[in-house]
Amino acid sequence: MKNFTYYRPTTLEAAVALLDSRWGTSELLAGGTDLLDLQKEYVAQPDKVVSLNFVNDPIFTRIDVPQILPGTKAQVSIGAGVKLAEIAEHAELKKLFPALTDAAATIGGPQIRNMGTLGGNLCQRNRCWYFRDEFVQCLLKGGRKCYATDGENRYHAIFTRGHPCVIVNPSTLAPALIALGASAETVGPTGKRTLELSKFFQAPSKPDQREHVLVPNEIVVRVLIPVEGLRNASYEVRHKHSWDWPLVQAAVAFRLSGGKATDVRIILGHVAPTPHIATEAQKLVEGQTITPELAAKAGEAATAGAAPLSQNGYKVQLVKVAVKRALLLASGAQPDWLL
Amino acid sequence: MAEIKWPAKRRVIGTRVPRLDGPDKATGRARYSQDINRPGMLHAVILRSPYAHCRIKSLDLSEAEKAPGVRAIVTVGQLNYTGGRKEGKPGWAFPVNKTDVGRELFYHGDEILAIAADTEEHARDALRLVKIEYEQLPFIVKESTALQKRNAPSTVPGKDASNVIPGGNRTQGDPDAAKKAAEVLVTGTYGVPVITHCCLETHGLVAEWENPKSLVIWCTTQAVPGTAGQLQGFLAGHGITASVRCITHYMGGGFGSKFGPDIQGQLAAVLAWLAKAPVKLFLDRDEEHLAAGNRPSATATVTIAGNRDGTITLFEATSHGTPGIGRSAGVNIGILPYVYEVANVRISTEIVRLNHGAARAMRAPAHPQNCFITESAVDDFANAAGLDPMEVRLKNLPPNDPNAIKTQPTSFLALRQTIYATEIGIAAELSQWKKKWHPPGKGPTKGPWKHGIGMALHTWGGAGRADNDVFVTIHSDGSVLVQCSTQDLGTGERTVLAIVVAEVLGLEPKELTVIIGESQIGRSTGSGGSTTTPGTAPAALVAAINARDELFRKIAPKLGTQPESLAIEAGKITDKASGKSYTWRQACARLGMESVRGQGNWQPGLSNLGVGGVQVAEVWVDTETGVVRLERIVAVQDCGMVVNKLGCESQVAGGVIMGINLAMFEEMIVDEQTGRMVNPDFEFYKLGGILDMPEIIVHMHDMPERGVIGIGEPPTISTAAAIGNAICNALGVRVPRTPFSPDRVLAALQSKT
Repeated sequence: MKNFTYYRPTTLEAAVALLDSRWGTSELLAGGTDLLDLQKEYVAQPDKVVSLNFVNDPIFTRIDVPQILPGTKAQVSIGAGVKLAEIAEHAELKKLFPALTDAAATIGGPQIRNMGTLGGNLCQRNRCWYFRDEFVQCLLKGGRKCYATDGENRYHAIFTRGHPCVIVNPSTLAPALIALGASAETVGPTGKRTLELSKFFQAPSKPDQREHVLVPNEIVVRVLIPVEGLRNASYEVRHKHSWDWPLVQAAVAFRLSGGKATDVRIILGHVAPTPHIATEAQKLVEGQTITPELAAKAGEAATAGAAPLSQNGYKVQLVKVAVKRALLLASGAQPDWLL
Repeated sequence: MAEIKWPAKRRVIGTRVPRLDGPDKATGRARYSQDINRPGMLHAVILRSPYAHCRIKSLDLSEAEKAPGVRAIVTVGQLNYTGGRKEGKPGWAFPVNKTDVGRELFYHGDEILAIAADTEEHARDALRLVKIEYEQLPFIVKESTALQKRNAPSTVPGKDASNVIPGGNRTQGDPDAAKKAAEVLVTGTYGVPVITHCCLETHGLVAEWENPKSLVIWCTTQAVPGTAGQLQGFLAGHGITASVRCITHYMGGGFGSKFGPDIQGQLAAVLAWLAKAPVKLFLDRDEEHLAAGNRPSATATVTIAGNRDGTITLFEATSHGTPGIGRSAGVNIGILPYVYEVANVRISTEIVRLNHGAARAMRAPAHPQNCFITESAVDDFANAAGLDPMEVRLKNLPPNDPNAIKTQPTSFLALRQTIYATEIGIAAELSQWKKKWHPPGKGPTKGPWKHGIGMALHTWGGAGRADNDVFVTIHSDGSVLVQCSTQDLGTGERTVLAIVVAEVLGLEPKELTVIIGESQIGRSTGSGGSTTTPGTAPAALVAAINARDELFRKIAPKLGTQPESLAIEAGKITDKASGKSYTWRQACARLGMESVRGQGNWQPGLSNLGVGGVQVAEVWVDTETGVVRLERIVAVQDCGMVVNKLGCESQVAGGVIMGINLAMFEEMIVDEQTGRMVNPDFEFYKLGGILDMPEIIVHMHDMPERGVIGIGEPPTISTAAAIGNAICNALGVRVPRTPFSPDRVLAALQSKT
């Protein structure tokens, strides 16, 4: 990898000050499970690496689940520096947000989960094999074309909406967090701001764009999840069960009152350059009782707008199944798909 | 000398003996070649072609040479340059303009040069300072494209006009008549992609010149003396007369891809020579996928004809496969149809050469492909005939050869039908085949999951070979040293040798010291073709008997008896004449200042060749997602006389796991736009983890009367075919190509409706 200067600030403000205001010359290091690879492949060649591992701020490093009193609004705070393993194993989070903890428990393998962080999971770069090959000048590296569009695209996006770069967003936590109505608190050159996670991601197509909308010297401090008593679940279809990326993921959340689902959110992962909100499916389920038949219909509706590439048509079928199963899981139905 | 035979009563041989080096491997005490670090050692890295096909237009090393820490650079053109012979100079005495400019590179990963520097980081930095201009040339990286453009000019090395070359034709009997007379006729296309060896220890070595006449290499190789010899020959070609010693105390997999020093061995030896310092050169994972060998793909359209009773009368196949830039594909028409003997056969093969790394031998070369093609088709035939595919297999087994029964009663030819039938019976019982098999697509369901069970057969050679030396030394303190230059490719070589010697000397395997994997010890034919145990276990027996007899000769006078009166029992030596007995140590103490040494070479009569094998796979398939879950694999395997039952069972389980990966996960994917492999990693080049593995039930069908036969390769052959047949049995539709990923399973399901 290219030589760099390594910084170990102890506050987030100091970290922000160390970051450059343009992309490429400085990078944040948390668990390192993504950045190290990118550097070894020369896809990232920062001059400065700013470690967040010495930041000693409980807001950044801890999970805070407040005592929840009936009738009051509460929110859970998860520091961006919290390890994925800690999220996956957190007893209270498991009860409140199985969509999140189940998603966290499936990411990578134990080593990745022990090192990887919440902030890293949200801000990691995509896994497109053309993007990750130093030699290939794709759109994200200033090239003229997306190689996946006409090339090897079995793992790429089926919802591209005419977007020229057909990566899938690699975050498995994002669909769950968006479904739960979470927001990210960040700190940057102009101070703190709070962003709904549904507005956190973007579809990049140029070297000066990332998979999220943060500016280069902005850092995720924590994620806030409102405690609203929503039923929620995440379901993913994978090729391998040990270490692998989901082929398709669906995260759902809804309020169940009088047997009807309201405030329905259905978010798809690993099918589009950003987490994909399945609007048609949400509409279809809104106000309805979730039955296997309705869940299947919602799965069908979730494929609205899908435009698969040459090798990934199978993902359309997987979307149908993932949405159906996530809805049934969240509704408390007895899964019939477990062996 | 009396004819040497395996002991009729065996105390240690055939029992379950844990690997002697297991704790060392598990704790990290075992030092693999990659763990070797020498004082003053440099690190070398290789520059490789970024293109699938190009020519070097210019090459400028001046900046790289000046880079921090750089100590030596040598190019592949210089290694290959032979013009220096007349002048008595090595190739690297010539400038790169002469040796490298104009050189053609044929695949992404083709070697260009190597740089040695004080650190790996410096070497990598220097690689990026090499200035090189390429002329890009046409390339073909997909078989479908090569077949489509079959008349386009060749893009691969050699003088063939095209990338597609004939692989041979064979006709036997009267295929047309058999087709006409057929009561049942099925045609299908089946295939497996190119996969790579995935040795967990990547290829490479540490090379150190002890003096200008002597090179030591710590190399990860499955042919220790062979690798030393090849490197010695290479150096001699450049005017360097030196002896090369190769050390491979432990190795992390080879699977057929590690038979020589390879180009990285030559580069490291020359860099160490030029820099006058030890050099370490190991490939990265991407280089390993790109340039360290792979298994050829195979695709075949097969027609099987036969009678309603399940008798197969015709096997017809049109096949092709790619060896990358290599020239011989593993779609070996000699072994189609696989296992079965069919009266009427018509086979044609084409070799499709592509601009990716060359194929190498890989665990049972050609067999997994031919097994998959044949056994998928046999299953489809059974299904078309409405018969239990196990019965169809039993009906079509190759017969025991009447001549062989007379002349060589323990040969595979004399026994094969019996072996297969017995093993099928055992596998049927262990898998509850009769209870669990159902017509395709008509099995039990659990929610969206459908159950399936499938079977496949395989065969392999596994002969012993001459020129394998084992030495056994007995010291007066009772300690015993066993030495053999053969490395442990995964066969449990240390333990195998210790078992055999311990059997003869009345000791326990763990009491012996075993040194293996050093070329100077003696001759070794290398671990290829499952020949290691059948090659060296007989040598160990001979060596142990020779050492024992020498011990008896030396100590008999001191014990006041005759050598012939002495005999060994567990832990003691008995004098039959006097009835006295001595502990092993007491007896050995009589050697005084002396020690005894017995030498053994392989000799006939102790090993054999030819095995069968049956595997049954049980699966569940999620018909909504195409996800396949493996429930259980039953593997029944013979290998003549089992030496270490635990080692054998472990080898079979390992073979099954490798077969599972072929079936479920592995595929080399090369991009047609860039000519580059897109998954030279373990992220998208998938290998199953522990959660992907089923229960694996291994049954060793022990046949001591046949002598020792190799076990390394056979158990990986039929796993993928058995899994494919199980999936077909679950779904009622064939998934024709591996890996059986959700997209392929869903596509097959869709084709059904």
